[in-house]
Amino acid sequence: MNILVFTKRVPATQEEELRLISDGKDVDFSKLPFKVNDWDNYAVEEAVKIVEKGGGAVTAVSIGSAESDEVLRRAIAMGAKDGFLVEVDQALHDPFARSALIRNFIQKEGTPFDVIFTGVQSEDDQFASVGGILAALLKLPYVSMVIGIDSVEKDYMIVRRELEGGLQERVRVATPCVVSIQSGINEPRYVSIMGIRKASKVERKSFKGTDYDAGKDAHIELVQWTYPPKKGGAQMLTGELGDVCAKLMEILKEKGVYQ
Amino acid sequence: MLTQESHKALVCIQCGKCTGSCPESGKTLFNIRMLVRKKQFQAVVDESLPWYCTSCGACTIRCPRDVKPSEVIIEMRSALIENGSVPLALQKALENTFVQKNPWGRSRNKRAAWTEKLDFEVPHISETESKRLLFVCCIQAYDPRCMVIPVNVATILHRAGLEFGILGEEEACCGNEIRRVGEFGLFEELQEENIANFKEYGVKEIITLSPHCMNVLKKEYGDLGIKVSHYTELLAPMVKEGAIASKGSYNKKVIYHDPCFLGKQNGIFDQPREILKSVEGIDFLEFSRSRENSMCCEGGGGRMFFEVEATYKRNAEARVEDAISRGAEVIATSCPFCVMTLEDPATEKGLIVKELSEIMMEVL
Repeated sequence: MNILVFTKRVPATQEEELRLISDGKDVDFSKLPFKVNDWDNYAVEEAVKIVEKGGGAVTAVSIGSAESDEVLRRAIAMGAKDGFLVEVDQALHDPFARSALIRNFIQKEGTPFDVIFTGVQSEDDQFASVGGILAALLKLPYVSMVIGIDSVEKDYMIVRRELEGGLQERVRVATPCVVSIQSGINEPRYVSIMGIRKASKVERKSFKGTDYDAGKDAHIELVQWTYPPKKGGAQMLTGELGDVCAKLMEILKEKGVYQ
Repeated sequence: MLTQESHKALVCIQCGKCTGSCPESGKTLFNIRMLVRKKQFQAVVDESLPWYCTSCGACTIRCPRDVKPSEVIIEMRSALIENGSVPLALQKALENTFVQKNPWGRSRNKRAAWTEKLDFEVPHISETESKRLLFVCCIQAYDPRCMVIPVNVATILHRAGLEFGILGEEEACCGNEIRRVGEFGLFEELQEENIANFKEYGVKEIITLSPHCMNVLKKEYGDLGIKVSHYTELLAPMVKEGAIASKGSYNKKVIYHDPCFLGKQNGIFDQPREILKSVEGIDFLEFSRSRENSMCCEGGGGRMFFEVEATYKRNAEARVEDAISRGAEVIATSCPFCVMTLEDPATEKGLIVKELSEIMMEVL
């Protein structure tokens, strides 16, 4: 089975204080570290596991700046055969624009695939829409939020989806199809720095996003980044320990937290 | 082709001195003598076993054939790392170190946040005349319990009139534990980044807070022509000469725990003791196992970042019990990892754990 898996380089923002610049037109990325999008890491691992078991090849594709080559090297170190970088000058936030670019790329380059894997969403934009829009544009079946792939057959797959309330749904989907992979589907292997260095020797192909009308079909215009409105600050209790504890209990009872 | 460590394993005579000194062998499934034997025969090793090693170095120090069993373990771990078979928590620590240059994944931009607790400015190393660098490293820069160590040591040095600077957010993890976990590629990256900074700013001397950083900077970064010391090495003569004089007294029975990377691996036994003994009021005690024979707290070799399956009594607990039996009120040590591992059982049993600089700050 040939699997096309999309992987994105995203800023690691969990521990960072984001700073807006240019009157809210942009985020200051200059001091932020970058990493692979968590969901995509699971998607690459799942793709590699499938071909390790049943044969075929994984091709990792990344859309972004030249630095996105990092996540391609990482995917190759995990077991992907090829890495394609579709270089774009500006970040494509709009999920329709991203999906249209991917469709144009696949159709123009004739990239062969049986299945396309995307992560459920990316940590930066969080639209969680590229998989679905891409499937619609390619007129392919789509399964979202996949947390298990039970069997891979010649012309179909049996997968499990995560539903609300802890339910799971088992689905039979014909291939070719698009699948969005949920985090937790597997335990992604550790990729060592030596492994990434070795992967650097595997040639990655680079494409220009402008050749595929990058950004042309955007439906969303980024108007401004803003900080969330400030809420009231925490109430600081001061004084003797006993008094502070009594006051705390009083507040907790008043708020109904402690009966 | 056989690696250097495999060649060394071949000269092992299976005398068992390694197992006899190992803090893990005998009470866990880990047996260092057995693993070296397996290395000799290139036999398959259960993947869970190499992770038990705490890198205390006792086996390597006692080995009569210079096999360096602790290095054999590092090589076994490295093979697992390259194969992607790493305990999950450890994997996270390694990925964090790759992204944020510290195993806890805290923001690199906040690496100098501890300086906000000082009432004086600490200059960047480039702004100093002495080019004396205070190498803070990860646990001291981020862990709320250990952030007090750089604050204390910086304050003591400042009061003694000793000029020093820091790298701030340019500092990367020293890599001591990363190398011991077997992630050689990541270790090389950290080493290269730190060395490039040392060279750019013309660093002449490095003072470390953790014995783990001192060990790797002194012994595994290559010959940089830079003097590297643990802060107790710097402070002991200053205390002796009176440049640092205690004003108060500390009227407690204090027992000193030798950290493996300071004591048995680098021979620094006397300086921390000299500092403690200089404090008025301290009734100084020794563990039944001290100095070269000190019992490992199990915090080294990457064990700070993940838990092994433990059905045995932790060494830290045994250590605390020994301290109590000797009548100690306070366990003093000079390593952040030892503070972290000893403090849990100590608190449970009503004993206080102090990093040496904490006691100094109370009397200065």
